[in-house]
Amino acid sequence: MKKYKADIIVSLKNGVRDPQGAAVDTVLKRTGMEEDATVQTGKFFTLSITGEDETSAKSKLNVICEEVLSNPVLETYKIERFSEV
Amino acid sequence: MKSGIKAGIIVFPGTNCDIDTRRACEFYGWQTEFIWHDEKNLDKYDVIFLPGGFSYGDYIRAGRLAKFSPAVMALKDYVKAKRGFVIGICNGFQVLCETKLLPGILSTNTNTKFICEEVELSVNHEGFPGTVKFAIAHGEGRYIADEAVLEEIVAKNMLFLRYNDNPNGSALDIAGLYDKENKIIGMMPHPERGIFAETGNTDGRYFFEMLERELNKNLCACKYTACSQAEEY
Repeated sequence: MKKYKADIIVSLKNGVRDPQGAAVDTVLKRTGMEEDATVQTGKFFTLSITGEDETSAKSKLNVICEEVLSNPVLETYKIERFSEV
Repeated sequence: MKSGIKAGIIVFPGTNCDIDTRRACEFYGWQTEFIWHDEKNLDKYDVIFLPGGFSYGDYIRAGRLAKFSPAVMALKDYVKAKRGFVIGICNGFQVLCETKLLPGILSTNTNTKFICEEVELSVNHEGFPGTVKFAIAHGEGRYIADEAVLEEIVAKNMLFLRYNDNPNGSALDIAGLYDKENKIIGMMPHPERGIFAETGNTDGRYFFEMLERELNKNLCACKYTACSQAEEY
């Protein structure tokens, strides 16, 4: 068994209203930090998993992302910095 | 007054409306038990409640982690077998959507606030007045589903409760869904908080009385089945 780690970013799907992002937009505009802000909020996870090889570890990771870390009705996910530990 | 109805209330770590729900059930004389979330068999109950609260701290998302608990796994078998009714209130509705026992999902309120107030609701079910007032208390109550799912909800007549003055941005003003085929009701408002006169609201009784009528129909059907089986012998 090999060990892999990855970063997962979960964000709202395009077209799903993001009230928290909109609230941050307002703050950026109000404070003058950025006049034309578009903020989208999301969640970040970093995790390590085991697998026979890269393919099986990645397929396991996809199941974890779809079943546990995100909900496809509302969110999408991106796997980043996948690497063997 | 004792009733033959057996109610079970699933309690997760972080559930906080379990006692209110139990008191409401006991008000009607139902035999009521708490079910710890690692229970694997729910067959003895005529109705299962998923009460309000913050199951598993609502970590990742409201209702997300509860869907992996043994009791919710068992709930899927309970529904498949059409054993009885499943009622998800507030966090319970979120769990039902996460589990896909009801369609769609509940997301952050449009105004990003935790809304705790009494709201007027239109009810699409016999035995209710056209409008009732129930309490709501949620931060993630905005019902979302894609167009095809919303059309199906309307076509299947699942629109059970709708906000008169939509507080959270829900699609089609949806506050609660009723899947009559599978006997599943999910709703953000809290009927169990409208039972006792001292709370200033007794509209929740309409809901529990409706449920009692439905459950008694179910009990009669079960007895009838038992009788007809006995006659065959």
